[in-house]
This record gives sequence, structure tokens and C-alpha cells, in this order.
Amino acid sequence: MSYKVTEEGNVATVHLDGEIDMDVTEKAKEVIFPHIDAGKEVHLNLSNVQYMDSSGISVLIESHQKALEKNTKVIIKEVSKSVLKVIMMAKLEQILNLE
Amino acid sequence: MSELAHTNHTEKKDFLVRSSSLKDVRSFCREVFEKLHIDQSLKDELVLAIAEAAQNIVKHAYKDSPDTEDKMVVQISCKENKLQIGFYDMGTPVDPGKVKHREIDNVKPGGLGTFFIQQIMDAVEFKDGKKPWINHLVLTKQL
Repeated sequence: MSYKVTEEGNVATVHLDGEIDMDVTEKAKEVIFPHIDAGKEVHLNLSNVQYMDSSGISVLIESHQKALEKNTKVIIKEVSKSVLKVIMMAKLEQILNLE
Repeated sequence: MSELAHTNHTEKKDFLVRSSSLKDVRSFCREVFEKLHIDQSLKDELVLAIAEAAQNIVKHAYKDSPDTEDKMVVQISCKENKLQIGFYDMGTPVDPGKVKHREIDNVKPGGLGTFFIQQIMDAVEFKDGKKPWINHLVLTKQL
């Protein structure tokens, strides 16, 4: 997994790239969580993520819940068809902020 | 699905029980399903189910041995349109009665892997592991 972060005002946009599985979830959290902890709105761009397993879904849930605690939000953007299918299988499409 | 999916086909491969092996498990499955000409949508689902089962071995059967040199075996068989995926490991014995996913409406991190496997596959069965194996999991899907 590789990533790129851009910041503009109170919004941090995190572009993840590659496959998100158990092997990279700690790395993903290290990239995403500090922005949430800083109270930023995080835009998580998943356009280049073609595979995500339950560990990746856990990162999305944890990020979402952490953001609620910090009175901010995580918006998941440009989800690929294959990842959307997994999100829907987990019945999270109404819980997570998807755009 | 091509005619090949109707013929008998078996392949197996071993992998170090590590989270870093999961991408190799996925690559192996994709290659086999490519040969079987399984359509993309089903292939994605099957790869997810298999990777989740392999992840469970790393995460649970070897919870206390993260640096193990043990290997797990994944075997994919297709016979008469029935796909059977076997997993063999030498980790802590699994109590099938304790393998359950979290309540899907209770949104929290974790506990989804087994749910995905059950959603995707027709049958999930723990069999007695024959020596040297401790655990033998079999996932089945009618094609």
C-alpha cells in the first residue's frame, strides 16, 4: 500500500493506493488517525484501492467512529466497484459517509 | 464460466503463516480461478473468502506465534462444478463452536471475516486435521 496526503484548510485528503489487508492496516491507521486526532475532516480517496478485506473495513469503521468522537468526519470518496461491494456486504453503506 | 470449470482440477500451495503471505494467497487463487475461467465478480468474492480464511489462521490459530516458520496449505479443487477449498494448518486447534461473527448491526471494528466467508460460500466445515495438520477447514461453493 502506498499513500499520498494533501491538506487544505481543515481538510486532509488521504489517497490510498493498492490492496488493503491485515498486513497494511497498521500503516493505514498511522496515516489516517493523526489527522482525525487533530480534528481535521478527512477525505479518504479509495479510487486506487481495488481490494479491501475485513481488516480494511475495520479501519474504515474505526476511522468513522474516531471522527465522531472528535466531532469531525471521514468522507470516503471514489470507492471502486469491488471495494463498494465489500462495504455493502458488511451493510455499512448507510453508516459510513460515502461520496 | 468455460468448459474448464466443468472438468476436474486441483492445485495446492503452501504459504508461511504470516500476514505478509496474504497477498500471495490472493495471487495464487486469482491464477487458479483465471484458469477455471470463473467470472470476475465471483472471482472477487471467492478470493475475499479464501483470504479471510487464511487471515483467520494467521490471526487466531497462530495468535501466540507471530514469528512462526510453520506453513499453511491452501488447496483449490473443482470437480463437477463444485468448488472446494481446503485449508490446513498446525496452529492452535480451532473449536468450531466458538467460530462466529459479530452481530452485523452492532457496528464495530473486527468480527467480519467469518461473516464474509459465510455470505460468500455455500458451506463452511471444520474437519479433523490428519497428521501433521491440526486444523482442516473446507469451504464449498457450487459453481
